[in-house]
Amino acid sequence: MTQDNGSNLLKATNEDTSGPFFPIYFQDESLEDLTVLGPGIVGAPSGQHIILCGRVLDRHGNLANGVLMEFWQANAKGIYNSPANSGNPDLDPWFNGYGRVRSASGEYKFCTIMPGASDNRAPNITITLFSDGISRIVTQVFFEGHMANETDPVLKSLDTDDQARLIARHGGQTDDGAEIYRLDIVMAGANETPFFDDFES
Amino acid sequence: MTQFGRQLGIGPTDNTSDQRTPRKPLRLIPSVARESFVPVVPARYVTRTHEWDMTRIAPGRPRGDGTPIEVTGTLRNQNGTPIRDALIEIWNANHHGRYRHVEDASGLQLDENFFGMGRVVTDEDGNYRFWTISPGAYLARPDIGRWRPKHIHLSVSGGSARLITQMYFPDEPNNASDPMALLMGDGFENNIGKPYETSDLDVDEGYRFDIVVGGRNATFFE
Repeated sequence: MTQDNGSNLLKATNEDTSGPFFPIYFQDESLEDLTVLGPGIVGAPSGQHIILCGRVLDRHGNLANGVLMEFWQANAKGIYNSPANSGNPDLDPWFNGYGRVRSASGEYKFCTIMPGASDNRAPNITITLFSDGISRIVTQVFFEGHMANETDPVLKSLDTDDQARLIARHGGQTDDGAEIYRLDIVMAGANETPFFDDFES
Repeated sequence: MTQFGRQLGIGPTDNTSDQRTPRKPLRLIPSVARESFVPVVPARYVTRTHEWDMTRIAPGRPRGDGTPIEVTGTLRNQNGTPIRDALIEIWNANHHGRYRHVEDASGLQLDENFFGMGRVVTDEDGNYRFWTISPGAYLARPDIGRWRPKHIHLSVSGGSARLITQMYFPDEPNNASDPMALLMGDGFENNIGKPYETSDLDVDEGYRFDIVVGGRNATFFE
């Protein structure tokens, strides 16, 4: 095993593109709708049901087919189910906060609950995007109408145009009471979504 | 004030990479928000007991066409700590270069004895093992004659470690022109499986592929 020069750290395996054929076979419906526990199961996570949906677009405005999207968020009380919060009484036993959707067309839909605000942050969901042609890229999505957006440190680190590119717009309600939020993610080019560097940050 | 990090590279001769690679440099995450960017994937024991042997569709079935191989390795973070109970999702083309995927329109031959998808979970020391059929290379850009070299896709998720990568094979003629290999530069060597003898096993070739998940995400909650 090789090591980085002048460092005790092992050299990381390069990330690589998922390619176009991430197996649909690995789909897990329980990761596409975090508001239900599974067929016939009594119980549910706390919180307002929301649907986050939209399109993933390429540099030419075409749908980016075959993308794999992963979601990570706090529960309704703003607590992440991470080892750092182990034993926190505000953890929701029915909510892990990790979701995954593979979109054949490039249009996506993720059913979850509205994350609570935590640690002086506005409610947000981290999105990890895998696709043919790129390795993993990450960003965070916020929700229109939250006062906390104005003081959120991630949004504040961006200019006004980029802020708008990360705020999902409220688009009504479903018949069963889920609030709909829409956000298009533009992978490249004009109106490109800001992505973040979690290696160098 | 926005601070910038890496500028992602575009894979040469890769049209999709040209269409989908962000052109602006990645933004640095403000330190107070850093931890919120670390997804923690709950343990997912979704594999079935036979999935480690991808050389056949199910126990007792004939083997697929081509060369049966073993791939083994240890999953670690950059500090060298093994990552246990991580899910590794594996997929590779068959001997003829075809994926059993509804969106693979290559027209290459399917193999009725090869499925090409499997899942394994790392043991308590971070070790994993699976068998598969050595994948075929396939012509990715017929217009310029560029092939995708033989490769196996691996998607690793467990705790705060998350990685999608590919294992390539040594001395393959198409390695040198592969867009993603070109982006990796000298580091490409890290993504090549190391051959070992398998005379005592029911496979023809063995490849060691140790995986190190980079970045702070993989060590954030250690």
